[in-house]
Amino acid sequence: MFLAPGSSLTRWVSVSVRGLRGLSLFSSSESSSSWSKVVSDAEKIVGYPTSFMSLRCLLSDELSNVAMHVRKLVGTQHPLLNTARGFVYDSKNNLQMRGLIVLLLSKAAGPSHAASELLTKDMVSGIYPSQRNLAEITELIHTAFLVHRGIVNLKEWTVSDGPLKDMEFGNKMAVLSGDFLLANACTGLAELNDTKVVELISSAISDLVQGIYYENYYNVEDGLGDGMDAMPWEDQAFLSHGALLAKSCQAAMQLAKHDREAQRLAYLYGKHLSLGHKLNSDLQPFVKSRLGEMTSFSLSAAPVVFHRQIVGKEKWHQQLQEVKHGQSLLAAVKSEKGVSSAVDLCRYHSNRALEAIQAFPSSEARSALENIASAVNKF
Amino acid sequence: MAGSWWMCCRRLNGGFTTSGLTETLRCFSGQSAYSSASPTARPSWSSAPGKERPLFPAQLHSKALNLNPSLLRRRSSSLYPTLRYCGCRTTHSDAKLRDPFTLAQKDLTSLYDDIKKELFVAKTELKYLCDYYFDGRGKAIRPIIVILMARAMNIHSNRAGDLLPGQRTIAMISEMIHTASLVHDDVIDGSDERRGKKSINDVWGERKAILAGDFILSAATMALARIGNSAVVKVVSQVIEDLVRGEFMQLGSKENENERFKHYLEKTYKKTASLMAHSCKAVSILVNSDPEVHEIAYQYGKNVGIAFQLVDDVLDFTSGAELLGKPAAADLKLGLATGPVLFACQQFPELHAMIMRRFSSKGDVDRAWQYVLQSDGVQQTTYLARRYCEEAIRQISRLRPSPERDALIRLTEIVLSRDK
Repeated sequence: MFLAPGSSLTRWVSVSVRGLRGLSLFSSSESSSSWSKVVSDAEKIVGYPTSFMSLRCLLSDELSNVAMHVRKLVGTQHPLLNTARGFVYDSKNNLQMRGLIVLLLSKAAGPSHAASELLTKDMVSGIYPSQRNLAEITELIHTAFLVHRGIVNLKEWTVSDGPLKDMEFGNKMAVLSGDFLLANACTGLAELNDTKVVELISSAISDLVQGIYYENYYNVEDGLGDGMDAMPWEDQAFLSHGALLAKSCQAAMQLAKHDREAQRLAYLYGKHLSLGHKLNSDLQPFVKSRLGEMTSFSLSAAPVVFHRQIVGKEKWHQQLQEVKHGQSLLAAVKSEKGVSSAVDLCRYHSNRALEAIQAFPSSEARSALENIASAVNKF
Repeated sequence: MAGSWWMCCRRLNGGFTTSGLTETLRCFSGQSAYSSASPTARPSWSSAPGKERPLFPAQLHSKALNLNPSLLRRRSSSLYPTLRYCGCRTTHSDAKLRDPFTLAQKDLTSLYDDIKKELFVAKTELKYLCDYYFDGRGKAIRPIIVILMARAMNIHSNRAGDLLPGQRTIAMISEMIHTASLVHDDVIDGSDERRGKKSINDVWGERKAILAGDFILSAATMALARIGNSAVVKVVSQVIEDLVRGEFMQLGSKENENERFKHYLEKTYKKTASLMAHSCKAVSILVNSDPEVHEIAYQYGKNVGIAFQLVDDVLDFTSGAELLGKPAAADLKLGLATGPVLFACQQFPELHAMIMRRFSSKGDVDRAWQYVLQSDGVQQTTYLARRYCEEAIRQISRLRPSPERDALIRLTEIVLSRDK
C-alpha cells in the first residue's frame, strides 16, 4: 500500500467512498427536475409507478424484522443505515431505474409473433406479467447488492467508527437482508418457467459480484495496482454497473419470445445506457463544482481513472502527495484531459444506446427510452 | 394408537404447525413405531422405544423371496417387504456393498473438481476464495445422499443405475449451495474457523466473504438452469429461500416452551433438511414422473436431514473441539437453544430464563452446559433423531430394492453414530 493506512488521506478518501456508496446516482440538482419529468412520463407509459415495486417483499415479516433492528443502527456509522435511508426517502432520485427501463423496453418491443402460448390478453399496458416480474426481480438484485456493498470489514474498524458491536450488528442485518432479497429474486426467477432467463440473470449476478469485488480497488491501493489497470475501465464498469441491466433487457425479450436480433438490441441498449449513466454520475463532482468548492469523489470515478492514465504513475503519486499540503486533487484532475475524456465517452455511449433503441418500432415507450438515453448525456 | 402416531406424522409433514414438544414426544414414545395406517403395513418393523431396532431383517433370512415386480409396483403405496428380491448379492459382502461411501465413490471423485470448473472467474483472488472450501475436506454427505438417491430412483424407474448428467449436476449444486450458506453463516456468527482452517471472513474480511458466497450461489443457479428443467429449478430455488428464512428464525426466540420446540424443528428443517429434501426430490423428478415417488425422495431427504442436524446439535455438547473442526458449545455461545437444551429444560427450569436471554449473562454458557450434561437432554435428542431415521427408512423402503437403496438405509445409521 502506497498510502500509509490510517493516514489522513486514506481516511478522507475512504470516507468519501463510503459516502458515495449510499448515494443514488443522478443526485445533481439542476438536471434532476428534467430528469424527474422524463422518469415520471415514463412511469405513466408502463402503467404504474415503479417506485412501488418490491413492496410485496418489503412487507414480509423478515424485512419488518430487519427494519426494526436497523432502527437500532440509528446514530451509528454503519453504511446499511445510508442504504436503507436512501431506499425509503429518496423518491426524488428514483432508485428504481432498472425496473422502469425493463418495462419500457418490454412495451416498446410489443407482442411477439412467435409466442402462441403468451396471450395478448394477459398484457397489462402492453407488458406481459412475466416481464413485469422480471423488472421487479432486477430491482431486487440491484438492491440486494447495494445492501451487500455496505458490509464493513471488522478488522479495519477503528474507534472513530463507533462501538464495534454496532458494526457487527449492522453487518449481520446487511448480510441477512441482502440474502433475503437475493433468495426472493431466485424464487421469482424460477417462477418465470424459462431456464434460459434463469441462466442469463444468474450470469448477471456473477458479473455483478466480480464487478463489486474490484470496484473500490483503486481506492485502497495507491491508484495503480499493478495488473489492475490491465482491465479497461469500461470492462470493470460493465461488470459492476452494466451487466445486470443489459442482461435483464435481453431476458425481457426472451420472455416474450422475441428473436435474437431484438434480444441483441435490447442488450446493447441496456449496456450502453448503464455505461453512459455511470459516466454521468462519475462526472457530477467535476462538472458541477465551482472553484474552491470541496466535493467528495471516488478515486475509481472515470475522470480520475482516465486522468491517471494520461498523466502517468509518477505524476499521479506526486499529485496525491500534494493533497497533504492542501492542494486540490479535484482541481488537478480538472486541469487535465481526464474530465473531457469521460465526457466524450459518455456521449459515445448515449449515442450507441439511441442507435440501438431506434431499431424498434416507433412508439411512446420507445420515445421515453430515447429521452432517457439523451438525458444521460446532459450535464 | 396407530392412528394418533400417523396423524402426528402428518402434522410433522405439514410443516410443524401444531405439534409442540410434548406432542412430538408423545408421538415418538410408547407407540408401535411402524403401525402405520396402511393396510399393507409391514409388521416386522414395529418396536417399542428403547429396544434396538433391527435394521437389516433381510440378513436373518437365508432365502431371497421371489416377488413379481409388476405386482408390487401396482400398489403404489405398498411397502416392499424387507426380504429383498435380489438375484445377485445377498451374502457376506452385503455390508461392504451397502456402504454409502463406497457406492458413491465413483461419482464423488471428480465432484469437487467439477464444482471448481463451475466457479468460472478470471480474477485470481476471488477464484481462490470460492475454491477455498471445495478441497475435499468436507463430509460431502449431501452429494452422497443425492448420488445414491438418484441411482436408487433410476433403478426404481426401470433404468440402469448410472447417473443422468442433470442428476450429477444437482449433487454438485447441493454442495455449492450448502457451502455458500456456510460462508455467509460464518460472517453472521463471526466464526473464525471452519473445517479445520481459518474462515474466509477471518482471512479476507467480511466484504469479500459475502461476495464469494454470492458468487458460489450464482454459479449454482447457473448450473441449475442449464439442466433445462423448470420444475427442478423451482424445487431447488425453494431451498435458497428456506435457508435465509431459517437464518432469520434464529434471530428471534419464542416465549412459550411448546412453541420453542416447534420453532426449533422448523428452523432445523429450513436450515438443514430442506436442502437434502429438495435435492432428493429434484433428482427423482428428472427420472420419474410419479409425484408419489417424488414424495418418497423428499421425505427421505427431509427426515434424514432433520436427524442429521439433531445429531449435530448433540455433538456440539458431547464432542471435543479437535474432532469437529470448529469450537464446541458453539450454539450456546451464539445464544442458540438446541434440542439437548430444550429437553433439559424439563429437568432444570432454570434454563428457561437463560434461554430467553440467549445465554448472555456471565457464566450462563458453562452452567447451561453442565445442566444439559446432567440431564437426559442428549439422550432424548438422540432418540428423536433415531425416530426420524426410522421414518426415512420407512419411506425409502418403498422403492424397488437396489444396493443404493440399501446404502441409503445404512446411511441413516451412519448419521446416528457419527462422532464429527
